Amino acid sequence: MAAPDERKRRLSRPALAGGALLAVGMLAVAVMTHSLNDYLLTLACFAGLHVMLAASLQLTNGFTGLFSLGHPGFMMVGGYLAAVFTYPVRRKSYMMPELPDFIATQQWDLPPALLLGGVGAALMALVVGFPVLRLRGHYLAVATLGFIIVVRVLINNMDGYTRGGLGLNGLPLLTNLWWVFGWTALTVFICWRIKHSSLGRAMMAIRENEMAAQCMGIRPVRTKLTAFVIGAFFAGVAGVLWTHLVTVITPGSFSIMLAFTLVAMLVIGGTGSLAGAVIAALGLSLLAEVLKPLEQTFDAYGLSQILIALGLILVLIFRPKGFFGSREPSLLTGPGTQERYETVAQTGRPSQQGRT
Amino acid sequence: MSGYLTQQLINGLTLGSMYALVAIGFSMIYGIIRLINFAHGDIVMIGAFVTVGLVTATGLPWPLIALGVMITGALAGITIDTVAFRPLRGAPQVTGFITSLAVSVLLQNLGILLLTAQPRNFHFPEVMRQRLPVGQATLSIIDLSIVITALVLMAALVFLVKRTRLGMAMRATAENPQVARLMGININRAILAAFAIGSALAAVSGLMWGGKYGQIDPLLGFLPGLKAFVAAVIGGVGSIPGAMLGGYLLGLAEVLFVGLLPAEYSSYRDAFVFGLLIVVLLVLPNGLLGRSVEERA
Amino acid sequence: MLRTLRIASVAAVLAFAAGAAALAAEPIKVGLLYNLTGGLSSLDNPALNGSKLRAAQINQAGGLLGGRKLELIILDTKTDQQETAKGAQRVLSENIAAGIGYSDTTFVMAAAPLFQAKGIPFITFGATHPMLPTWVGDNMFMTPFGDDDQSYAIADFTYDKLGARRVVVWTDNSMDFTKALSKFFIERFTERGGEIIKGDAFMMGDTDFSAQIARLQSVSPPPDAVFISAIPSEAGLTVKQIREQGLSLPIVSGDGFDTELVADVPGPKLANNVYFSTHTYRADDRKEVLDFVDAYKSAYGKAPENAFAPLGYDAVGLLAAAIEKAGSADPDKIRQAMAATRKYPAVTGEISYTRANMVPPKPVAIIGVQGGRYTLLETWHPK
Repeated sequence: MAAPDERKRRLSRPALAGGALLAVGMLAVAVMTHSLNDYLLTLACFAGLHVMLAASLQLTNGFTGLFSLGHPGFMMVGGYLAAVFTYPVRRKSYMMPELPDFIATQQWDLPPALLLGGVGAALMALVVGFPVLRLRGHYLAVATLGFIIVVRVLINNMDGYTRGGLGLNGLPLLTNLWWVFGWTALTVFICWRIKHSSLGRAMMAIRENEMAAQCMGIRPVRTKLTAFVIGAFFAGVAGVLWTHLVTVITPGSFSIMLAFTLVAMLVIGGTGSLAGAVIAALGLSLLAEVLKPLEQTFDAYGLSQILIALGLILVLIFRPKGFFGSREPSLLTGPGTQERYETVAQTGRPSQQGRT
Repeated sequence: MSGYLTQQLINGLTLGSMYALVAIGFSMIYGIIRLINFAHGDIVMIGAFVTVGLVTATGLPWPLIALGVMITGALAGITIDTVAFRPLRGAPQVTGFITSLAVSVLLQNLGILLLTAQPRNFHFPEVMRQRLPVGQATLSIIDLSIVITALVLMAALVFLVKRTRLGMAMRATAENPQVARLMGININRAILAAFAIGSALAAVSGLMWGGKYGQIDPLLGFLPGLKAFVAAVIGGVGSIPGAMLGGYLLGLAEVLFVGLLPAEYSSYRDAFVFGLLIVVLLVLPNGLLGRSVEERA
Repeated sequence: MLRTLRIASVAAVLAFAAGAAALAAEPIKVGLLYNLTGGLSSLDNPALNGSKLRAAQINQAGGLLGGRKLELIILDTKTDQQETAKGAQRVLSENIAAGIGYSDTTFVMAAAPLFQAKGIPFITFGATHPMLPTWVGDNMFMTPFGDDDQSYAIADFTYDKLGARRVVVWTDNSMDFTKALSKFFIERFTERGGEIIKGDAFMMGDTDFSAQIARLQSVSPPPDAVFISAIPSEAGLTVKQIREQGLSLPIVSGDGFDTELVADVPGPKLANNVYFSTHTYRADDRKEVLDFVDAYKSAYGKAPENAFAPLGYDAVGLLAAAIEKAGSADPDKIRQAMAATRKYPAVTGEISYTRANMVPPKPVAIIGVQGGRYTLLETWHPK
């Protein structure tokens, strides 16, 4: 952000395009907040959260080539952690009798809760990721799937803190479109910067060939862990936003199906492409809603899911690498992209993240 | 107490037999085209409903019904492969994975639409419910037939894979499709065979599932599918003996965990099973019997 | 700018109100949120059938308020809380007079507060947590009884009529409803002087109960009964497997057992000595019940699948009665009329909102199953 003037000029086209996108987005949010009804606002919030989740999942699944299904687990960690602190004090002792006093008397606002949820999920990712990220391909997928289930079972059994299977209801409705948009924009921006930094290059090198990457001096364990932890941070934050939008959280709130949906968004958009993830997440969230009235018309509930599944299969048959592959629209990358990386590398500007 | 333990072992073996039959299909399909086929669990559901359909419509003797169920399952597997997966050969692994999820969602919702979400009852003939004494425990004829059928089918499968031309073609394709093709092997036939055999086994386990528990519904395939996937991974994805071993281990682990620990821990079962899974993977990153193969492009 | 907008909108509202008065035949919209696919679909689908049946009857008889038809806006929320949040806002954006939905407390709690915030009444057809109206507010109405009532009823029956003193309790630990049911059962049974000698647990979706059964067998001296807190999908399975292991002790439960599966899955030879408390309709010969079952059969070609079918039917009927009494489709007037409901002759038992916690004190039926047949043994009345 605080780059020297000379670099700013070089970045001008993508920076301009990105800035323009941000401005358009903010304008859209402002207009929407004032003119849309609660239904469309809720819909927009969920669409935004899907974008945020899909973009952050790109870090592991897209850039680094790790097949993680763990996002719902991190959302659960973030959501519950935050809920324990934002829950109205008045009903806390009834709902969560075993909470220690210093928590039972707290009633936090959204911003600290978001940070707590994000950091909690990131720490969890650090602990889980350290052993688990050694696994490859589907073995990692199964292990992260197992992680979701372990988290769910633990929450289900920690009655005094989480109210078990009954879940926590009556949470304050704190999330609005501004919060969602802000965090989504931040997530996409950070993921974008990572993709176009030496850290991102390291991730992609690992994706292409871990052995070769290691020979180039990249440390796979640290790089993978970084991708996993940053992704989990945003998943945790998204979990907090989600929880305070639905105002209910139960061990079943974030299901394995959600993990599948997110991975589907990545595959449709193109594994590794942020623009693809954003567009696919928006498209899929809205499509499901648009198709809904058909179900009542034909008295066939489940029809919209069948249509979407069929569409998904067709898209993948004709575009097996998704709509964007690993690329981004050229408008946003700019012609000098490649050259810029070379410059950065040659000037030997020490990068804080890349040499991990 | 030893009667109690025997009983738990019997229950674990029965459950494990069903997991193993489903896991074999997972492993065969993965071994041959590197596809994690999540729609595989829904073949179990199809098998269960076809059984009910055949019983009410035809009243054939049970062995013939089982045969019919296996044939339908095989046809369903072949259809799914031809329509959804064949156009994707050569695409990234994750594309196939997502496609299989889409197929699974499709099958489940079609099931709800066509068959309604209501669970249905399902009856084996009364004789099957008789219980035979085994030491201090008892074993129902249903359990016994499940275990025996599963073992016979697995033996037949091993024979087929090891001793027949088709089996050789399948093994060659799994080893290296390019070379297999050069050797004049019809790869598509080998792949179809894997889908047909794997799905037939899954369908027959659907028959067993319905018969043992007496109740079926359109969503019944999801959990056995997921568990069988886990079993296949524990055993080493791609290895048929591994899938069998994984299936039995998972079945026994689930039952013994709930059976041997105090009741307060029963609700931790899934956490235990999946926690164990993660540990197994960390110690043996390729599963128990899997070979270390670098991911094939 | 803003002021002009405000004036314009006030004008629009006035114009709309005038228009509405002129157009008496305008339909009354009701939003229905049901989980028609996913894990809870086997409970909510029969309820939808019941609801649609009642609405069709009302419309055939000429509608409400002198000719206004009921228009149901039905959304499937896929057993997914995200879909509930979206679905609730979606129907709320369509000028509905009231909302109806859900068999499960969690989903009610994801939807009803949104209705409360907009001042639109929400009626749950099947969620039974007795705290629901307290948690949500004055726009929350329950069609069924509370879990405390049904658990007390079966606890009393187990203690008095079965003479049981030592009971084992099995709980489905994955659900709100089943955990609450067990809690209230234990509370009442121990209060009466009984003893809970063992607790055991399983999870929704389990199909194998051999370990729990083995533990049940190992209790010595043998317990007098086992209380199983389950939903319909596990009800038949548990009975079948317990009986197959040769145990014949009484099995008692709540309305989760109110399904044909309890008799069908074990079959007539094994479906014995089972008792459960439920909504008064099964094996009942009141006129409302007989009419409902006939209408359901002729509309759908099958008997009601479980108690949620009549509950879905009653929820729409309850709302329609309130609209007629209010003489208006205005949500606030409907809310007042709903709250003043007394002795509404529902299929599942008379509904009156006389208690401070707004849980209707409905009669609870105790059903016995012998040889695969259901018999109404007694009707328990709450205080």
